Amino acid sequence: MSSSFSGDETAPFFGFLGAAAALVFSCMGAAYGTAKSGVGVASMGVMRPELVMKSIVPVVMAGVLGIYGLIIAVIISTGINPKAKSYYLFDGYAHLSSGLACGLAGLSAGMAIGIVGDAGVRHPSFVFKIGMLGITSMETDLIALISCTQT
Amino acid sequence: MSGSVMLGESSSWSRALVKISPYTFSAIGIAVAIGVSVLGAAWGIYITGSSLIGAAIKAPRITSKNLISVIFCEAVAIYGVIVAIILQTKLESVPASQIYAPESLRAGYAIFASGIIVGFANLVCGLCVGIIGSSCALSDAQNSSLFVKILVIEIFGSALGLFGVIVGIIMSAQASWPAKPV
Repeated sequence: MSSSFSGDETAPFFGFLGAAAALVFSCMGAAYGTAKSGVGVASMGVMRPELVMKSIVPVVMAGVLGIYGLIIAVIISTGINPKAKSYYLFDGYAHLSSGLACGLAGLSAGMAIGIVGDAGVRHPSFVFKIGMLGITSMETDLIALISCTQT
Repeated sequence: MSGSVMLGESSSWSRALVKISPYTFSAIGIAVAIGVSVLGAAWGIYITGSSLIGAAIKAPRITSKNLISVIFCEAVAIYGVIVAIILQTKLESVPASQIYAPESLRAGYAIFASGIIVGFANLVCGLCVGIIGSSCALSDAQNSSLFVKILVIEIFGSALGLFGVIVGIIMSAQASWPAKPV
């Protein structure tokens, strides 16, 4: 029995866990970014209420990270279909690594957006610079997302 | 690359996993879906509530408006309940010979992953909404025009719980157990 054991029955475990990692870690990053910059916006808004609407930019960017995680999680979980196409252990591990790549990139991007957003909104002249940093964070996540879809 | 060729070369994770009943994974998934979501909601309510009550000492007008932040946190717990109920309706009994069939293993893993997704996404969503809700209460106490603006940020935060629910439900559609032999 041991010579013909292939782990392919358990491959969906790793695949689904990859989808889970993609969404959960991206949501963690998005939550951190939203909460940290939101606190910054609120404390700045007490002094300068007219600048609050302009300072929502980092919050929106952090929210987009959650959407990236959602996209990858859906792509992975609909790709696990042993009836349509045989699902080997290789595919399971590939999906796990894609999901982890996207999720952890999203987590770090979200933390970056949060810390920069919190510090940046307190100075109104820095809003555009926050924009640039937020965009570079999202690009790291986008690169992970694109490489995930190649697997 | 089928993985079935070498003697003793196949993954030892798989050897261990294939012995665990899919019902174990399903049950843990359902428990995590509701348990961790409620943890997130409670954590968020505690963060918001303590700031709200403290700020209301000096500015009692903020209490009724800011209960909306508490309601946003509670919504996260309701998402967890809904998904846990959906997941437990996906459980079917299969005859003993089929419990370790590949299809039922896959169904067990799908329910597990779905539960993990919903639970932890709601946990971080509840935390996020709680932190923003507390700063919303504090800034509202200073300047009441800020309430609606900070509430916009809170709405962005609560979308994260919805993402978890969406993916959880999509994934639970994959949980198809083998059909009973006639």
